[in-house]
Amino acid sequence: MATIPMTPAELDEPKTSLWRDAWYRLVRNKLAIFGLFVIIVLAFAAAFGPYLTPYDFLSQDLDARNAAPSWAHLFGTDDLGRDVFSRVIYGTRTAFVVAIVVTAIAVTIGVALGAMAGFFGGWLDRIIMWLTDVTMSVPNLLLVVVINASLKAPLAAWMEAQYMATLNPFFRETIWVDFILVFGSMALISWPPYARLVRAQVLSIRSRPYITAARALGLTTRIILMRYVVPNAVGPLIVSVSAGLGTAMVLESAFSFLGVGVNPPTPSWGNMISDGLRVWQHYPHLLAAPAAVLGLATVGFSFLGDGLNDALNPRGSK
Amino acid sequence: MNAMTMSAPERLLDVKGLSIEIDTRRGPATIVDGINLHVNKGETLGIVGESGCGKSLTMLSLMRLLPNKIKVKSGTANFAGRDLLTMSKSELRKVRGGQVGFVFQDPMTSLNPVMRIGDQICEPLIYHKAMKRADARIRATELLRLVGIPSPAERLDAFPHELSGGMRQRVMIAIGLACDPELLIADEPTTALDVTIQAQIVDLVKELRVKLGMSVVWITHDLALIAGLVDRVAVLYAGTVVEDAPVEELFANPSHPYTRGLLASIPKLSDVAANRLSSIGGTPPEPGRRPLGCPFAPRCQLAEDICRQSVPPLEPLGGSGPHRVACFVAQRQLEAA
Ligand SMILES: Nc1ncnc2c1ncn2[C@@H]1O[C@H](COP(=O)(O)OP(=O)(O)OP(=O)(O)O)[C@@H](O)[C@H]1O
Ligand code: SF4
Ligand SMILES: [Mg+2]
Repeated sequence: MATIPMTPAELDEPKTSLWRDAWYRLVRNKLAIFGLFVIIVLAFAAAFGPYLTPYDFLSQDLDARNAAPSWAHLFGTDDLGRDVFSRVIYGTRTAFVVAIVVTAIAVTIGVALGAMAGFFGGWLDRIIMWLTDVTMSVPNLLLVVVINASLKAPLAAWMEAQYMATLNPFFRETIWVDFILVFGSMALISWPPYARLVRAQVLSIRSRPYITAARALGLTTRIILMRYVVPNAVGPLIVSVSAGLGTAMVLESAFSFLGVGVNPPTPSWGNMISDGLRVWQHYPHLLAAPAAVLGLATVGFSFLGDGLNDALNPRGSK
Repeated sequence: MNAMTMSAPERLLDVKGLSIEIDTRRGPATIVDGINLHVNKGETLGIVGESGCGKSLTMLSLMRLLPNKIKVKSGTANFAGRDLLTMSKSELRKVRGGQVGFVFQDPMTSLNPVMRIGDQICEPLIYHKAMKRADARIRATELLRLVGIPSPAERLDAFPHELSGGMRQRVMIAIGLACDPELLIADEPTTALDVTIQAQIVDLVKELRVKLGMSVVWITHDLALIAGLVDRVAVLYAGTVVEDAPVEELFANPSHPYTRGLLASIPKLSDVAANRLSSIGGTPPEPGRRPLGCPFAPRCQLAEDICRQSVPPLEPLGGSGPHRVACFVAQRQLEAA
């Protein structure tokens, strides 16, 4: 150990790294930082908002129905006199939970299948890519509608039966049926892009000179996969996950809007937009509030995704 | 100084009749055609030839690192008593990086971009020498110092992109040398670098091979660059060895028309001043369209009928000695003289 000099100068010197460099590039990107800021604020609202909101999202004030925005009700109230601001914040929580869980499932499936397809090739590759193509060729909405229509009733009945048998309050919450169906069906339509991305990454990394160099060092396939292939595929995956979270939020809203997503009374931006759309001529705030927040979230994730893309692939950008 | 002694020197690497094929849509095409090559213990061999003549594939095939569609068709490659081309995978892994170090052409892409260079040097030490991480780091520091990298201990934690091209190539050499290999194969290690850096790397390897007593194969298309480094030169043309001679002999008495062309295309100061560079006309044959006889015949000014009908064998010039050449006309001229 003594042969490695540990001079103060050396210890003080900031250690730069790929990630640190990428971070510096990201902070210099104003749009990306704006996106990051928006996401942090929304995530904070999703995590702690429900404890801070002035009203419960279900509490009705029938004397103040459809009230315009005021200091008491920042975004006004809806047709049952519920505080729209509180509901939007609860909707943020719904959006984040759905987006994070769905993306996590989709990424897990996509990375596993894509990495296997790219690394092993051959018939395994062909089967996985066939599966990917088939999934992508089915219209998303159709798939979700079919899954909801065919599974919702049996699942709800099963939950009811479980509750009767066990009296476990967990089975009382029909919200879980919603969530399981929403998570499942959305993950099912969301994994193929990740699989394609990872497969393409692995294929291209496999033929890079540093992989040949690693093999020339006598390293085993396992070490080469873990230390040379996977870490080099992570950058583009991060970019795509960031964009994918935004897409998942839009999907959740879209499905809830169409009535095949999260069901009332659980607040969801999509539900609120759907309700607001019916009365927007009279009470524009009922449409504007959830739509604006959804738009903000989408823009936030998209800016952050672009920024990450530029930061992690400095040579690939513009 | 020179590796040639009176008794026959011991061969570390002996490649016989190595042929390499590539699968194309029109069927297999020969890229390397029955190459014979050897490297003696402690010797430095230069392999010279135009781009695309099969230098890299020959060396990659020895370590069984050929890309998917390219295969060894025939031949043996004896290394320290065992055939590299048929030994078991686990034996081969011990040779790779352990007994044979590889330095690749492009220092920009041959290092893992997301791994600190210290870790990349430690990798073979941990794997082949079963070293502990801390010991491997000490050895890595020594290696970086050996290849002339300033403040080596600090550089251990640097990423490849933080180093210049010349520094990265030194790191590559350090990785190649990590396990004290008996043979270092350097595939055009200076092509991507500035001229002054090229000379520094050549000097470095020259110094190291004496210090470490290893054999070196240095692939290049720049004969002039390695004239002072190598003991012997094998000239490759279209996947065959056309001339093989001690370096002084080759410069003094180049016998194959292709070698003469190569030597003539080395710019001399006077040539540059007069802006006059000679080069060989034409291009090498494509794989799959090799001429029947001498592969160089289509571009050769001395070609005769026999050259287009049969392949000239690689034989000692004048019947014996270390200078061998594969050319009918060169062999005959010597007989006549
Ligand atoms: N991966 C590959 N796929 C198809 N053909 C290849 C591949 N690698 C090499 N070749 C072909 O094989 C021949 C020999 O290639 P090789 O890389 O050995 O040449 P080289 O002598 O090292 O050239 P250079 O000086 O440019 O490095 C070339 O004609 C090339 O087109
Ligand atoms: S054998 Fe004939 S064609 Fe080939 S190099 Fe010699 S002279 Fe030229
Ligand atoms: Mg090459």
